[in-house]
Amino acid sequence: MALETERARIQHLLRRAGWGTSRGELDEYFALGLEGTVDRLLDPAAVDDSASDAAIAALIEDDPRERRGALIGTWYLRLLTTRRPLLERMTYFWHDHFATAIHKVSNPAVMQIQNETLRRLALGDFRALLQAITRDPAMMAWLDNRTNVKDAPNENYARELLELHTLGEGVLYTETDIKQAARALTGWVIAGTRRTGGDPEARFVPRRHDGGEKTFLGVTGALDDTDVVGILAERPETAAFIGRKLWRFFAVPEPPAALIERTSEAYFSSDRSIAAMVRTILLSEEMYSDEAYRWRVKSPVELVIGAERALELSAPLRREPQFTQTMGQLLFDPPNPAGWPEGAAWINSNTLLARANYVNEVTRARGRSVFDALALVRCHGATGSAAEVVDFLLDLLVGGDVDAGTREVLIEHLGGEHHFDLEEAAASGALAGTVYLVLTMPLAQLA
Amino acid sequence: MPENDETFLDRPVDRRTLIRRGLAFVGMSSAMPPAFLRAAFDDRSAPALALDPSQKLETPRRQVLVVLQIAGGNDGLNTVIPYSDGAYYDARPGLAIAPEETLPLDDRLALHPALEGVQSLYERGDAAIVLGVGYPNPNRSHFASMDVWHTASTDGWSETGWLGRLLDATRYEQESLWRAANVGASAPRPLTSAEPFVPSLSSVPAYVLQTDPRHPADGERRVTNFLRLHAAQAASLAVQAEYGGQLALVSETGLQAYESTVALDAATSGYEARVDYPDTPVARALRTAAELVTSEAGTGIVYVTTGGFDTHSNQAGQHGELLRVVGDAVRAFHDDIAAHGMAREVTTLAWTEFGRRVRENGSDGTDHGTAGPLFLFGRSVRGGLHGEQPAVGDLDGNGDLKYSVDFRSVYASVIAQLFDTDPADVLGGPYEELPLFEAV
Repeated sequence: MALETERARIQHLLRRAGWGTSRGELDEYFALGLEGTVDRLLDPAAVDDSASDAAIAALIEDDPRERRGALIGTWYLRLLTTRRPLLERMTYFWHDHFATAIHKVSNPAVMQIQNETLRRLALGDFRALLQAITRDPAMMAWLDNRTNVKDAPNENYARELLELHTLGEGVLYTETDIKQAARALTGWVIAGTRRTGGDPEARFVPRRHDGGEKTFLGVTGALDDTDVVGILAERPETAAFIGRKLWRFFAVPEPPAALIERTSEAYFSSDRSIAAMVRTILLSEEMYSDEAYRWRVKSPVELVIGAERALELSAPLRREPQFTQTMGQLLFDPPNPAGWPEGAAWINSNTLLARANYVNEVTRARGRSVFDALALVRCHGATGSAAEVVDFLLDLLVGGDVDAGTREVLIEHLGGEHHFDLEEAAASGALAGTVYLVLTMPLAQLA
Repeated sequence: MPENDETFLDRPVDRRTLIRRGLAFVGMSSAMPPAFLRAAFDDRSAPALALDPSQKLETPRRQVLVVLQIAGGNDGLNTVIPYSDGAYYDARPGLAIAPEETLPLDDRLALHPALEGVQSLYERGDAAIVLGVGYPNPNRSHFASMDVWHTASTDGWSETGWLGRLLDATRYEQESLWRAANVGASAPRPLTSAEPFVPSLSSVPAYVLQTDPRHPADGERRVTNFLRLHAAQAASLAVQAEYGGQLALVSETGLQAYESTVALDAATSGYEARVDYPDTPVARALRTAAELVTSEAGTGIVYVTTGGFDTHSNQAGQHGELLRVVGDAVRAFHDDIAAHGMAREVTTLAWTEFGRRVRENGSDGTDHGTAGPLFLFGRSVRGGLHGEQPAVGDLDGNGDLKYSVDFRSVYASVIAQLFDTDPADVLGGPYEELPLFEAV
């Protein structure tokens, strides 16, 4: 049993529901206990996040609605500084689920609006989220529902709505259901900003809508988009599809039917509350089982944000988006409507070299370094011996629990126990090198 | 640690000795080494051997396959256009290309006007176009249909990809870490094989493990210990199954990533493109492919992906631009390959997961469809048209084209005629072969 102590369980929880945690934050969560930590994570409104807002205001000059760089940089900076890690984690989950990419949408304003919508509804009623996304300008541009008109419907959104957002590929629906749903979804356009002065938003144009009778998943009537969303949100297959994805996101690789049943129950007994599903998972025994331990491959964004938060950089590198992109992931730009391929797909020689070269960039010495390894270990009192330094870093960066061989290589890299001299290790680069080695080792790629 | 290990850490040591010592350090000598470690570090199968030029002479019929995946579902009907068929013009009042704008191939079919690059290859006899390629009971989901093409299996999920199985079935350059490669930041499904390692790269110069220039001595130790930690975490037999097998995967890939940087550095030098490649991502990727296949790395299969072909709306201008970018990149690549004297040795196979709906939608675009053309380029291909163009007047119940050539027939032809391998070993059964190649 790997996760025996409450301390180890909280660290495991934070690797899944958080973004990498500084030593100080860890102590705060340890004081709350496991259930207290889950409560805190699930109640983001109770946590003041104004310091994160201030950091963003101080560092991002352009309006994220006007500039692509500011749009992307703002979210990376939010992830680096937020005190509401689970809220951002779920915003990220939905960004991947409803994957929409700026490479087609091109307008940063609607991408920023979608990001705000995802954050606002990330833990709320799934039906409300699905409805909002159906009328979300970025999604309407991405999957073409804004040009879906009666007589010659565009099937793009209807197909992905069923295949990727609710039921799962080939589950329950036929090609005819796709065509019928596409008809029901006709009639929506994006109202421009110039005339109204407000945000771009969905507007219904009756003459573009097919008001005729449709039969969708066995329901017949003059169905519109709200009907389609309502039918889908009430299907047990939808609850199971979302539930399975959440179990995999937070807990176990292959959730059995009994677990999926549990999140479906939470969904239908709580007016489709996403928070209720997440709470069920985070407080389950299975969340802390051996099967749940360290099987998830960190995505590039998890790796980079996790490293920088734990290392307490004096300032962000400001090149985080480029670094994650070389590892295969850029927020706001997933490759296709299915989002990013996950797990083992993150791992190949190109991306592993990119991960190591990123860690080299963070830890290397330069004129004005943003990372000070000596200050980090001193600040947390881990200075007495090479073993103390190594154990501190292992606990901070991978939650401890490594084989003896790994620990010995690291101690040796610091100069060994007999000749240990912290200041010399810092001056020679060996201390930063030890941090490099911990962050590039295979275990550090797993969460 | 014993005293002598400190000296070994303090001076540069042959990397193979170092890894052997690293493995001894974690007790590998008494454990059964996993296959990947044998393959990567055993002297008898050392990747350096593959770099011996004399080995190339033993494989005079060396053939290289570049697979170009055109993701998103390319509109086949507007790529190879049935410009003498009135039904095509009826179905596509907004998107049909007028006959006088097309680039005719014969009196029935023509290329999209943006495909000048393909036209010039075709006129030289260096392009084979297979018409009406698809498979039974077509799936119109991008991802499900890609799975079908990637695994060459229509009736179920397969762990391995067709190119991975081809690698497993061919002896060619078995010992080279670079016998197959992907250009990009992903590990494409078609290359998944029983032997797990296929390197991915963005470019040859960027394929290195960097260290801190301010601390060269520590940098050298970092590389040493980076490898020892990977070996340590790969070595424990328990680890092979632990953490869902992911720790084994990461450590193995990390070790081989480093080994492959060394092998690539030794195998590549002084490549210069002998044509001007366009400044587009797909052309850059093909340029990297050219750098690999003209090197001493022993590369037989390269995978390249380009996307953006999911043209549900405003297709007209967009699709032309997409086609132009691909056609120009492919022409530059084959011109470069020819200038390097390898024209007969390199073939490109360009495919897409499905064609698009015959009837255009109300967004000036097209929805997901079925069969479409597939392209093979290179001096070895039998240039011209192969297969049957599906009739626009004879559609399935969904309004889509009926396929005439199973894509596995194309795979089978490539496997047999290019790689001299029994297609049934790779595809799980026989498929009719088409005469797609000149005798090689």
